[in-house]
Amino acid sequence: MSAAAQRLPPKRRLSWRQVSTEAQLLLVGIPLLLWTMIPVYHLFLFAISPKDTATSGKLWPDHPTLQNFSIVFHEHHFYLNHFWLQMWNSLLIAVAVAVLTLFIATFAAFAISRLKLPGGRTVMNLALFTYFIPAAFLAVPMYKTMSVYGLLNSQWSLILAMVTIASPYCIWVLKQASDKLPWELDEAARIDGASPLQLFRLVYLPLMVPSLVAVGTYALLLAWNEYLYAFLLLSKDTDITLAVALCNFLSADDSPWELLMATGFIYALPPAAIYYAFKRYMVSGLTAGAVKS
Amino acid sequence: MASVSFHDVQKTFGKVAVIHGISFDIRDGEFVVLVGPSGCGKSTLLRMLAGLEEISGGEIAVDGKVVNDLESKDRDIAMVFQSYALYPHMTVGQNMAFSLKLRRADAKTTGERVANAARILNLDKLLERYPRELSGGQRQRVAMGRAIVRDPKVFLFDEPLSNLDAKLRVAMRAEIKALHQRLKTTTVYVTHDQIEAMTMADRIVVMHDGIVEQIGTPLELFDHPSNLLVAQYIGSPAMNVIGGRLRRHGSEPSVDAQGASWPLGALAGGSDGQAVRYGIRPGDMEIVAAGQGIAAKVIVVEPTGAETELILEVGGETLTLVLHGRTPVRPDDRIGLRIDGTKAHLFDEGTGARIA
Repeated sequence: MSAAAQRLPPKRRLSWRQVSTEAQLLLVGIPLLLWTMIPVYHLFLFAISPKDTATSGKLWPDHPTLQNFSIVFHEHHFYLNHFWLQMWNSLLIAVAVAVLTLFIATFAAFAISRLKLPGGRTVMNLALFTYFIPAAFLAVPMYKTMSVYGLLNSQWSLILAMVTIASPYCIWVLKQASDKLPWELDEAARIDGASPLQLFRLVYLPLMVPSLVAVGTYALLLAWNEYLYAFLLLSKDTDITLAVALCNFLSADDSPWELLMATGFIYALPPAAIYYAFKRYMVSGLTAGAVKS
Repeated sequence: MASVSFHDVQKTFGKVAVIHGISFDIRDGEFVVLVGPSGCGKSTLLRMLAGLEEISGGEIAVDGKVVNDLESKDRDIAMVFQSYALYPHMTVGQNMAFSLKLRRADAKTTGERVANAARILNLDKLLERYPRELSGGQRQRVAMGRAIVRDPKVFLFDEPLSNLDAKLRVAMRAEIKALHQRLKTTTVYVTHDQIEAMTMADRIVVMHDGIVEQIGTPLELFDHPSNLLVAQYIGSPAMNVIGGRLRRHGSEPSVDAQGASWPLGALAGGSDGQAVRYGIRPGDMEIVAAGQGIAAKVIVVEPTGAETELILEVGGETLTLVLHGRTPVRPDDRIGLRIDGTKAHLFDEGTGARIA
């Protein structure tokens, strides 16, 4: 063997341990992937199938078409008369919920975690307590409350209800995340001459950005995906969100499944896009508050 | 620049008192080091001066003005934290300019002051960097720069070198000292490292369990520790202390301990037969041939180059001896110890207070 050949790096060999770890990961990963993707695939399959073959059961349509999407976009169907308006409603409500929740949760977390306001612990315990009550339990009381305040059929009712549901979790996550910021930063800022509001604006907020993005995304998606409360609190076709509108498809005997699925597919895209855009923050931001430290 | 005075300052956390009425003054431009073991209250005292802890009792005054009820920002002090506490989302320049920005200083003044501080601390080329891109020593300098741009009345340092490695610590020690000599700003420096205290301080305040044990210049504390605690805390290696009985009769006073007679210099107090602790610094003993002086056995020889440290056994006691240069003695050798009695220290066995 020549000297040059001897200097070549040895072939990379996988040890049994590495092979077995890979195999285990694949064993878990492949079923998970299939489990997640198969419904999405069928959703997509329906969406690109012509009406007459939509329920044929084939794994790929004979004549795939984008006609369904065109009908949806042009609102060429009785159920889709307000598609764009309802899409806008969904977006408006989701963004409003995210903004309001962020506003409330950030100030609450700052006050409890950094200013150590008396009673903060109680608020945190109450926030934790809300986990024990499923949101569905509160649907009817919430309906009653909204009616007392005359908010029924106003989109504010849904926004306020969703903010109520999202806030405790968001306060909890943000408080945990802000507990991890070094306390000396606050002290340094105080000595440097910062008032609490300046501390909040100039030091706290910039350092909390990853958690804020995560929590904001959480609230946005929660509101975007909400069905029960949207169904209860809003009734006019021009007020409802797309989630409720989708369900209206099923009120007829011959539901246009292909249009329902095409609309559903479109409805699922923004959350997916948002999630992927902020994936980095979602992982770091939400796990930051996952463990009480 | 300003003087600082503590008058009967107390601190309690709930029912637990951690500082029990401390009083002392710091002169204008002085570099005072608060030193003591963990939990002695030195950091708490500094934080009370900074306005980060409430003062439970007594008064703290800066330049004659009581600051008890003033906010931190109104006390005109700057503090360097152990963890540096740099704002991670700001560049070095922004970190240093932050306090001026909050005071709405104009851009020209801010720029000049930051540039000046950066020049003093050799940070000119790092102004655009973020704290995460700096080494420990550089971060420490930025923290100091942030204090300098304020041009405060008092600098506070809370164990600023603890997070640095040994070599850098020595370098930064010199830098802080040089900075003080240049700016002559009154400085209060907290550390648990007595070498830092000895090398940097104009005066050292030794604290223990929330009280001041002794205040003095480094050499005063080294030469005349007022009690056992100070004696053993100041100086490295620590002073050797041996329990024994005082003998005042005969030509010279001495202490009987471990079957030997330990010489003392002139002695004012103490009574014959009194139980005492005899203290001698590792550098104040000499090796002589076996059979002369106090008989000792060599346990360990630790050469450090310029000095050699010996661990010796005398009776049941272990002593440390430091000699300049090198020595031919080996472990298990029998040697004699000669002690200059005038260098010895004597403390009461019960109270630990200095007798001579």
